[in-house]
Amino acid sequence: MSAERIAAGGLICPTPLGTVDRVQLGHGSGGKLTAALLKEHFLPHFTDEHLAQLGDAAVVSVSKGEIAVSTDTFVVRPLEFPGGNIGSLAVHGTVNDLAMMGATPAYLSAGFVLEEGLPFDTLDRIVQEMARAARAARVRLITGDTKVVERGKADGVFVNTTGIGFLDPTLRPAPGRARSGDDVVVSGPIGRHGIAIMAAREGLAFDVELESDSAALHPLVERLRDAAGAEVHVLRDPTRGGMASALNEIAAASGVGVELEEWALPIPEPVAAACEMLGFDPLYVANEGILIAFVSPEGSSSAFDALRSHPLGAGASIIGRAVAKHPGLVVLKTGIGGSRVVDMLPGDQLPRIC
Amino acid sequence: MKYLSEYRDGKVARALAARIRQRASRRWALMEVCGGQTHTIVKQGIDELLADSVEMIHGPGCPVCVTPLEQIDKALHLATRPDVVFTSFGDMLRVPGSECDLFQIRARGGDVRVVYSPLDALELARRHPDREIVFFAVGFETTAPANAMAVWQARELGVSNFSMLVSHVTVPPAMAVILESSDNRVQGFLAAGHVCTIMGWTEYEPIAQRYRVPIVVTGFEPVDILEGIYMTVCQLEEGRYEVENQYVRSVQREGNQPAQEVVGQVFQLVNRAWRGIGEIPSSGLGLRAEFSEWDAERKFALDDIRPSEPAECRAGEVLQGKIKPFECAEFGSGCTPERPLGAPMVSSEGACAAYYNYGRYRVGTTAEVKS
Amino acid sequence: MCLGIPGRIVDMRHHEGLPMGVVDFGGVRREVCLAYLDGQVDVGDYAIVHVGFAISKVDEVEARRTFEALREMSQLDELEWMKEVAEQSLEQMSEGGPA
Repeated sequence: MSAERIAAGGLICPTPLGTVDRVQLGHGSGGKLTAALLKEHFLPHFTDEHLAQLGDAAVVSVSKGEIAVSTDTFVVRPLEFPGGNIGSLAVHGTVNDLAMMGATPAYLSAGFVLEEGLPFDTLDRIVQEMARAARAARVRLITGDTKVVERGKADGVFVNTTGIGFLDPTLRPAPGRARSGDDVVVSGPIGRHGIAIMAAREGLAFDVELESDSAALHPLVERLRDAAGAEVHVLRDPTRGGMASALNEIAAASGVGVELEEWALPIPEPVAAACEMLGFDPLYVANEGILIAFVSPEGSSSAFDALRSHPLGAGASIIGRAVAKHPGLVVLKTGIGGSRVVDMLPGDQLPRIC
Repeated sequence: MKYLSEYRDGKVARALAARIRQRASRRWALMEVCGGQTHTIVKQGIDELLADSVEMIHGPGCPVCVTPLEQIDKALHLATRPDVVFTSFGDMLRVPGSECDLFQIRARGGDVRVVYSPLDALELARRHPDREIVFFAVGFETTAPANAMAVWQARELGVSNFSMLVSHVTVPPAMAVILESSDNRVQGFLAAGHVCTIMGWTEYEPIAQRYRVPIVVTGFEPVDILEGIYMTVCQLEEGRYEVENQYVRSVQREGNQPAQEVVGQVFQLVNRAWRGIGEIPSSGLGLRAEFSEWDAERKFALDDIRPSEPAECRAGEVLQGKIKPFECAEFGSGCTPERPLGAPMVSSEGACAAYYNYGRYRVGTTAEVKS
Repeated sequence: MCLGIPGRIVDMRHHEGLPMGVVDFGGVRREVCLAYLDGQVDVGDYAIVHVGFAISKVDEVEARRTFEALREMSQLDELEWMKEVAEQSLEQMSEGGPA
């Protein structure tokens, strides 16, 4: 009798019969199948001594002072997209949250919720990308967890990552530290991640494929720290809700207004074209590989040069400034000399973007 | 993007604005009919740039906004049926009906899907022969040819599980209603460039003559709008009242004849109620009898729909240009894009949405906010 | 729904009796129904597309002509404006100049 027929009769048989090419409920039960799952699909890619021990927790030593901790859960759909997959996104997203506090990311944990029926091929690609991203970002995955839920209860995979990073006293940016007169700098072109996801979902074709910008930003942050240190008041990666949401949050937290110049916004042509077609505003489209920095006038040209000196910051642009008037409000000066308020979006321009 | 980006040229736009200011010997009141034009005007701050020379009165050019509440309620009713896949353009999703909106129906389990083209809805019908696919056919004359083709193809290919809930409206009767109104202040019109791409501009010639108003067929980018305004102001200054064409790259006097042909074969002129304005005779399009098989109103029992409009909603006055969005007491407080009282606050072409999203809480300000 | 944007036709074919094409909008490609421009357009032409249908062929000659006129006007105006500014500064200088 086949596994399907047994299951149809009301019994759930955890021991798969025949070749196993996809995740089954038994893989989450904590027994032999779970061990096999870890051994065959996770451990080969993450060569960390803590992880290999498979203890209940990983123990690491830290020096005195403060550490930064951040957690994020990734539910992106589709799981795989041009420029990455949910695995690399899960590494970059958390590592960047640490970097935006000025912390150097060191350790990651990862929790997986797998849907019954997820093909192992897909899982392998996700895990491999995750491992590659972690290696490139010089962070170590030291502990993890895996659960399996019934078909239909998760979209393939959900991943949570929690990160620990170490702080440097010379760079302590915070959302509330922006000051009137600060320059607002963005490290690269905007709108790529959201449009790449949208294109994958909607079957939008591009003549040159548009890739997500998903990347680890702390190498860029290190350059900023070395060049401008305490002059860097705020760092933020504009993910969900795009540039507009991030800038509004900073403006509100710091009690400053923000003025942007429309002509200075670095928007790649395919992003602009896709936004035209889909009726999106690039300022609200998610990004996963750029940062916004509010830098004092004294530090801004060194900060700008530092960004430009790194491949990730090659497209850096000074897009505006913090001002004393209209605190909490972000205003855009348009190409024709008019102006308009860039408000927070009410809801989702794009759901399940990260 | 070619034929788009040039029309956002800051230098050309500022030069046009300067010319308008020089040319206007007094402040003129113009109406742009199309919601897409309203959005460009507010988004780019064109009205603020020209404040002393021109007042832009926003017209009823938002087909989503003028769709009668009854039609929305019918759509909501259809969307709750388990055998129906309800399809529409994206910005219909949050338009409030009497009780709720399509977005909420979807959250409760209704099969509501956004499509980009009516042909996509037809394709869905072919792929799911066991479901009834209904498409919400809302729009001006611009969209009628596309919707007509979908029904035509449905008949050609023998697709019987496809139907349309039609709520098409036409522009010229609405303009006449505005001009006939006793408190009309509109002295010149920017006609909708894409409506005229289909229909041409012959229908506007008698309007210009009869009411002695200049009408300029205008595009949608900042340079287009400014050029259209400039041409209208010139006519007003010279005492002319003709139909002129600014949108030469897309519009010809006779319009798109093949499109008009197919529309004429599939649709017929009907009386239509415009939300907030009331019934305007011969201002809408309905499916002809030969296509009644694909008419959702014939196919499904939709008779006991009793719409009820919130009393505080002043959408009708906004749509006729009688008040500006911020003059409504509920603007920004009881009525926001998250919880709209009416359609103009939630449609991508609604004037209330434009004002709210671009921060216009009071006349002439972008940087002062009533929080 | 007035959203109509210009794109370049890069491919043309028939599908179930309908003339269809692929249109490139600044790097994004989409399938578009060309039924309403049948016989009037070719690969390489620009069209305005609304809800998946091409509704007009962009008149490139007219577009170029009118845009050039606008651009000239704006440059002329800029020259005029620069002249004005120059004349004003000369006046101020001869009057003893601003501070």
